[in-house]
Amino acid sequence: MKSPALIFLGAFLVNNIVLMRFLGLCPFFGVSSTVETATGMGMAVIFVMTLAAWITWIVFNAVLLPLNLVFLRTAVFILTIASLVQLVEMFLKKSYRALYNALGIYLPLITTNCAILGVTFLNIDNKFSFIDGTVFAIGTGVGFTLVIITFAAIRERLDMAPINPSLKGYPISFIAASLMALAFLGFSGLFGLT
Amino acid sequence: MSRLNIFTRGLIKDNAVFVLMIGLCPALATSSTVRDGFGMGLAATFVVVCSNLIISMLRKNIPNEVRIPIFILIISTFVTMIDYMMQAFQPDLYRALGVFVPLIVVNCMILGRAEAFASKRSVIDSVLDGLGTGLGFTIALTIMGTLREVLGNGTFLGMTVFGEAFKNSPVIFMIMSPGAFLVIGILKALINKYVKKEL
Amino acid sequence: MTSIRQMIITLFVVAVTCAIILSFVYAFTEPRIAETQAQLTLSGLEEVITAYEYKVIIPDTLWQAVDSSGENIGVVFRVFPQGYAGPIPITVGLDNDGKITGIRVASAAEGLVETPGLGAKITQPGFTEQFKGKTATDVALEQEGGSIDAITAATISSRAVATGVKKGIEMYGACLMPSCDPGIVFSDADKFVEVIKDTLWKAVRGSDTLGVVFVRVVQGYLDDIKFMVGYSAEKRITGISILYSQETEGLGEVIREEEFLEKFKIGIPEAISGATVSTKALINGVVKGIERFEEYIE
Repeated sequence: MKSPALIFLGAFLVNNIVLMRFLGLCPFFGVSSTVETATGMGMAVIFVMTLAAWITWIVFNAVLLPLNLVFLRTAVFILTIASLVQLVEMFLKKSYRALYNALGIYLPLITTNCAILGVTFLNIDNKFSFIDGTVFAIGTGVGFTLVIITFAAIRERLDMAPINPSLKGYPISFIAASLMALAFLGFSGLFGLT
Repeated sequence: MSRLNIFTRGLIKDNAVFVLMIGLCPALATSSTVRDGFGMGLAATFVVVCSNLIISMLRKNIPNEVRIPIFILIISTFVTMIDYMMQAFQPDLYRALGVFVPLIVVNCMILGRAEAFASKRSVIDSVLDGLGTGLGFTIALTIMGTLREVLGNGTFLGMTVFGEAFKNSPVIFMIMSPGAFLVIGILKALINKYVKKEL
Repeated sequence: MTSIRQMIITLFVVAVTCAIILSFVYAFTEPRIAETQAQLTLSGLEEVITAYEYKVIIPDTLWQAVDSSGENIGVVFRVFPQGYAGPIPITVGLDNDGKITGIRVASAAEGLVETPGLGAKITQPGFTEQFKGKTATDVALEQEGGSIDAITAATISSRAVATGVKKGIEMYGACLMPSCDPGIVFSDADKFVEVIKDTLWKAVRGSDTLGVVFVRVVQGYLDDIKFMVGYSAEKRITGISILYSQETEGLGEVIREEEFLEKFKIGIPEAISGATVSTKALINGVVKGIERFEEYIE
């Protein structure tokens, strides 16, 4: 079993959720036009991802597994996440208005963020303990945030650069992401991690 | 809209991957080989067609306020179905696709069609719409898979294409993660340049 | 505007229907999935050693290869040494002389994460074929005293395979080799009658059963510990030998030292501080083994 520190590093850099695992791409490309929005999304993701990891881990190990209902995993997890996001939204709206306004529309968008659901599945597939799962979720969220903010910074510059019209928008963003992914490949093998 | 239009809309004009830019996660992650991309596409097509079918059949009975959870329930049922069927009958493909099979449930394309079309239109129209969208997705993934496998592995569906010499040292970059981003970036650029908007 | 009641009922009905449908799908596919899995494992085993039957000794890890007349012809085991990018699943076949009959490295589709085009070449026959016929001593890279030719630019992956296979042989093949001779731990006996294959023998002299010799595996600190113990009818340990261990150098590896092992002949020793996990594991393992097998001394 890997130490929590290694799990964190693995999730954060070596197996970066966006650039290596290809999860969370929709918000990655959709919400990264400015560094500000990217930061907001990143924070929201870390928060929801950790909460979702906790709740789904408990539901799986305390309910689905003992009752032999593992085949209901997909349905139960996605509904749990959708409900969780709904509840978080309502709670923030009432108690932390400022934060709610800051996160704006990102919160509901997170429901279909495959990164969140992906992390909950990976927690189970990797047979993580509760603590390991928490570390994995936080590491993944931080990795997502790092990458989306960096990418937003790059995109802000790209928007001002003279680019061939066919490349403007998504194409040049993808190519930039490709270079970022190439850079992250360099983390492979760090501390013996996959 | 004619029936044919309904079908081709999802196929070309509003192609999930190349036009609407949704379903990107599986598009990039599972397109490292033709078999994986095609298999993923078919699995997603199964889900979107079936869920469109059922949602359309039940559309008069679904209360508006709880429609999203019900859509999700129906979609995840079909996703779980294809998950277990693939495990049983295509274990190699299942292992290759990994976590992306259950992740079909959050493929925006499926929930999108349910909300925008199946919940409002007849059963036949909805099935056609699902087929068009799903097959458009499948074609996109297969094209990417072809480019990545041929250049990155020297094979097409496992068959050597450019001879053994190339197979021994192909453009490995293509099979790996940066290659996926590059392929879709260039494809999108080409589409932007050469495909007219009025299509 | 639908009433709350209606909403809840609809949701409930849909949810229950979905759950029921899925339970049918699950029941339908589950046996098929198990069968496919078993088939896959079987073909993996057949690739490394041809046998009539493969009896499970340790689930998913060690099998006894048996021919059509019931004779043991060797073993098959799986190891997962850490390679360059992650664990490498290897299946190894070993004949009764301790010689490798074949190895098989899992492909990328089966979980191999080594670099495609470089480390992943360890799956190819060009590399795996050279393991055939070799014994544990030969299984090391050429530059490290063995006779395995590493793949150019993929030394780490190649070395991982060699080390993994070698450890596997020491771990699981030990009882095919001379080092597993029960006589090492029970010198007074003339003959050893095998009661449980590679696990339990009766130590015999003339027509008397002097005691038993057993082999057990326990979980140590870093890895498993495999040991052999001789136990006499006078309730004394006649000898103990460590067949496999990979504990911490200078700490847990004390279990291999003569000084420590000799203590067992007098009584059950105490755990050694600084190496409590390893020594305790061994001690408890010995005690449990005695409890389990002493009844075989009639």
